[in-house]
Amino acid sequence: MRRTPVYIICSPRPLVGKTLIARLLCEFLLLQRGSVVGFDVNLKEPSLLDFLPRVTETAEIEDTFGKMQLMDRLILNDGIAKVIDLGFHAFDEFFTMIGEIGFFKEAARRGVAPTVLFVADNDRASGRSYAMLRSRVPERSFVVIDNEFVLRGELPDAFSHGRLLNIAALPVFLKTYIDRIGFSFTGYLRQERDSSTELHQWIRDNYFSFRELELGLLLHGG
Amino acid sequence: MAKPAVIVVGADKGGVGKTTVSRTVLDYFNANNVPTRAFDTESPRGTLKRFHPDITEIVDMTATADQMKIFDTLNNDVPSVTVIDVRAGLLSPALASLRDIGFLDAAKSGQITFAVFHILGPSIASLDEIAETASFMDGAKYFLVKNFINNTSFFEWDQATYNSYFHRIKGATELTIPKLNEMAFEQVEVSSVPFLKFVANKGPKDENANYSFVLRGYVRHWLANVWSEFDRIKLTDIVGKEKDKDKDKDKSGGDKAAARSGGEK
Repeated sequence: MRRTPVYIICSPRPLVGKTLIARLLCEFLLLQRGSVVGFDVNLKEPSLLDFLPRVTETAEIEDTFGKMQLMDRLILNDGIAKVIDLGFHAFDEFFTMIGEIGFFKEAARRGVAPTVLFVADNDRASGRSYAMLRSRVPERSFVVIDNEFVLRGELPDAFSHGRLLNIAALPVFLKTYIDRIGFSFTGYLRQERDSSTELHQWIRDNYFSFRELELGLLLHGG
Repeated sequence: MAKPAVIVVGADKGGVGKTTVSRTVLDYFNANNVPTRAFDTESPRGTLKRFHPDITEIVDMTATADQMKIFDTLNNDVPSVTVIDVRAGLLSPALASLRDIGFLDAAKSGQITFAVFHILGPSIASLDEIAETASFMDGAKYFLVKNFINNTSFFEWDQATYNSYFHRIKGATELTIPKLNEMAFEQVEVSSVPFLKFVANKGPKDENANYSFVLRGYVRHWLANVWSEFDRIKLTDIVGKEKDKDKDKDKSGGDKAAARSGGEK
């Protein structure tokens, strides 16, 4: 049976582009698979829910009940891809919890394929969190995101051991353009006839990277 | 013939987790293929019996007939381990009864293996019980169980108080039971199944259940920590059994493996 992907987009830092990546990934999965569920664990930051209200649910992990509501969905091998936009407030709580409940082992057993997309930043907290995740997350399930808009092409060497996914920087005016509520990446690809525009290519490049991730899942037991 | 072993789990105070610890002990022996029977002294209704109905009998420890039921059957071949969950307030009287019927002397002379799990609460009064109980402990393995169910610190912040209690009895071994997530604990309560079955996602009659993955994960993590404490004190050796070395090959071993790593079988 095909494995159900679960993408966890995370960073211990705010404003590193988690929600942007979650939006892109949700739209890509919606286009590719026809369905996706986004979980917004991000209530204190700009929110995935605002951008993709039809496919996004809010989740809280401050109490056990909230954890149950989120994790009992994530562990289901129901063929529906899931994307978690994990706010920096919830970073420690989330990974402590999934360590305690043995999420990765149980996911492997149930045919669920979690992938942690760690958005790198060049501060000390990110370095510590990266080391923690590398010790807890299976290597195949761990990807570092190099968001050039944040790191300006200077990804610290410490982050470059595992798999890497690059998000190119957009000019500020295009960044402002895509940050409008209601903007759709797939909608733009469909409507914009000139495929040579910078934004068109940027979206296609990112979708291509995500397709590589999905292919990786297929090749490793999907 | 294996030497019979009796484990008494008790405290003079209620609500400190005696039955919870008894349940983890029964699960541990079950997973290690140690034949066990249990007596619940919460007569007439026993909490332990609700979770382990097949191996538990409710008794009144103050009644001679029930004392006979427990101790006159100790020499039967199987099962060789008897766990007694002593009702709140009855630990000292129960130990006195055991002394009176010559049981403690039998333990002292090595005919019987006798262990006491003394569950401690968070108050000074509870710690005072240690001294009282200590007078009965000749020939017994004595375990002071710090149950963190109430998030107590057991006066570790005050070394003088801590040492005066915990170092009072020579040969007493400390055992730590970590705190279990409240909702996970409640869900197991509602389910009325042993912890091991809960982790394996099974109902009371071994039917498939649908417990929360998160709560099962918390219970598995907690149970593994509790059992690592039992491993540390070599509990199976104490009761005269070798630890199950091939635990993944049979049913209970599979449950134990599930508890220690992967959850549902």
